[in-house]
Amino acid sequence: MSGFVDLYTASGTILHRMDPRVKIVSVVFLSLLAIIITELVYLLILAAALAGLIFIGRASLSKTLIALRYVLRVMVLIIILWPFFDPHGTPVLFEFGLIKITLPGILGGLETAVRVFCLAVVWYILMFTTSQGDLVRALVKMGLRFDFGLSLSISLRFLPTFTATVESIKDAQRARGMELDKGSLKKRAMNYVSVLVPTIIMALKTADTLSLALQSRAYGARADRTYLRELWMRPVDYLALCISIAIFAIPATAKYIFSVPL
Amino acid sequence: MAIVGSNACGKTTLAKNLNGLLRPTAGTVVVAGRAAEDQTVAQLSRVVGYAFQNPDHQLFCATVDEEVRFGPVNLGYPEDQIRAKVEHAIEAMSLQSVRKLSPHTLRLSNRRRVSIASVIAMDPQVIVLDEPTTGLDAGETKVLMENVLRLNREGRTIVLITHDMRIVAEYASRVLVMTNGRIVLDSDPRGAFADLDVLRNCGLVPPPVTLLAHRLAKLGIPKDVLSSQELVLRIVLEKGGAR
Amino acid sequence: MLVVMSSASMESRTADGEARPRPAKFVSPKTVALYAVLTVLATAITMTLVIPLPNRGYFNVGDSMVFFAAFAFGWRAGMICGGIGSAAADLLLGYGFFAPITLVAKGTEGFVSGVLGGAWKNATWAKVLGIWAGGICMVTTYFVAEWIFFGLGYALFELPWNAGQVLIGGLIGLSLAQAVAVYRGTSSRAV
Repeated sequence: MSGFVDLYTASGTILHRMDPRVKIVSVVFLSLLAIIITELVYLLILAAALAGLIFIGRASLSKTLIALRYVLRVMVLIIILWPFFDPHGTPVLFEFGLIKITLPGILGGLETAVRVFCLAVVWYILMFTTSQGDLVRALVKMGLRFDFGLSLSISLRFLPTFTATVESIKDAQRARGMELDKGSLKKRAMNYVSVLVPTIIMALKTADTLSLALQSRAYGARADRTYLRELWMRPVDYLALCISIAIFAIPATAKYIFSVPL
Repeated sequence: MAIVGSNACGKTTLAKNLNGLLRPTAGTVVVAGRAAEDQTVAQLSRVVGYAFQNPDHQLFCATVDEEVRFGPVNLGYPEDQIRAKVEHAIEAMSLQSVRKLSPHTLRLSNRRRVSIASVIAMDPQVIVLDEPTTGLDAGETKVLMENVLRLNREGRTIVLITHDMRIVAEYASRVLVMTNGRIVLDSDPRGAFADLDVLRNCGLVPPPVTLLAHRLAKLGIPKDVLSSQELVLRIVLEKGGAR
Repeated sequence: MLVVMSSASMESRTADGEARPRPAKFVSPKTVALYAVLTVLATAITMTLVIPLPNRGYFNVGDSMVFFAAFAFGWRAGMICGGIGSAAADLLLGYGFFAPITLVAKGTEGFVSGVLGGAWKNATWAKVLGIWAGGICMVTTYFVAEWIFFGLGYALFELPWNAGQVLIGGLIGLSLAQAVAVYRGTSSRAV
């Protein structure tokens, strides 16, 4: 089940150029927005708007569908399963023993599915418009301690390497007659031990070399560290930030203070 | 049989087609008289054993003994046969002294031997060795290749993927030269090393002894010299004849 | 927990009268390297290794790495590397919104299994207890979160899958910890 190791696609759109800290904050607010809206109509509007953002970010349709394939499966399951557990309201469409399917029940399922879609799209937009390096930089700038950020960067750098190594080890063990898709569940699980142990050992050896490399590059020598690439907030970033907060704050006050049915 | 070529010329791709790890996009692969596409990797591994370039990708057991057992156990042999095959493999690779140790405490040349032994234990007709001499010094190389030669004399076909032209000259009876995914030369080592231009196009250089023989061609030394003993012999014969 | 790094520092003077900069209070480079590697292992394995089940579902093997990190390197490693590594896989696989939930689910799984697994002098039964307890944390977290976000129907549907996945992951993780312990006991090259 190999997908893209990195969802990021380099481009020059306005979404790509936004400060990553603003993007992270916006994603949080937009997620909250999707959560507090409960009327299907408004959720669909939000979904359409977010789809528009994908378009602005110029992501390819095929890549997007591949990235969202799990979410689509989840949505289908929600729509099917929700009505069985939400038998409130009228009109009742089907009744048999304990099972009671009502129209509001079906709509509830649809609302939840669209909400899940909105949430997934929002985070997907973050991931495909922001490079992994920028994400870590943003976190460090927002307060994550440098050594944690460094550990995170190293992890991201090694991800493609380790994925390839796992595949290689799988091949090597298959060449010794190990079959991963045959046998009882327990046998199949233990087959993975033959792939995982070499992987872990190689990983631990890599860690040893890494720690030497860090030490020989004066890791931790000074508390006041400088950075090659700094993040600066530009006026347009502040504007985007205000818009994001407003997009959440306005409907939230409307719903909770003025009881507008959202 | 040696498969040589510059990096990324397709040597490993070709070899992996032999045991089903890679499947062809066009044409068929026939292994031991049966089409490969009908067989799984596990089935093909009974006939074609593949020792990977990096032994650390295969070693995971607590002792060398268990490691060598892994292959035949997977293939479902009865216990007495497994024991026989393991004994033979350990002896073939001269691992008796380390068989109770953990593979990871061994140095690279020994880890390679363990990895190859674990392939031998599956008793395949053909053994593919992917760059087995990388990282070994001259002494270790010689020991390894002597063990491999013994396997060859038992009647097994050895497919050697390598960069090291010296061991090709010394041990191979057939050489496939590849470049850009195609086989450009298929002959014995003498024929392969005679044509310097073809080799150079593939980013290869014949062993130093052969290069020297080429330079001495004007003096009547044939170009297909493969070893220093042979060169000395030829020079002596030439000098003797000239007088 | 915001730590602001400033350049104003209490500087001591060296013998030549130059200001000696204050060294940073970071974790050791060994820890940085180890945690980085454990985290990426969790992510890589969650993303690539899956056990297909007879009836078209699958278990992902990522939990084995959470348990391995906890048993082999302690509850902190299990919690941090298992939690962050698994959450990163969510982000990269296209359901990033679930990442915070996974962070909590796998983080508690690593924490609990690490604490219990290391107790009683690393006994095997303590580790098994840790797997059960950690597994309950993970399954409960996911159940509650899925109930809230996806509805009770979905949560109930996923419940047996999650439970099965954790048990398989625990079985594998335990074997891994035992196998790798042999390697770590012999870390210098000999023969």
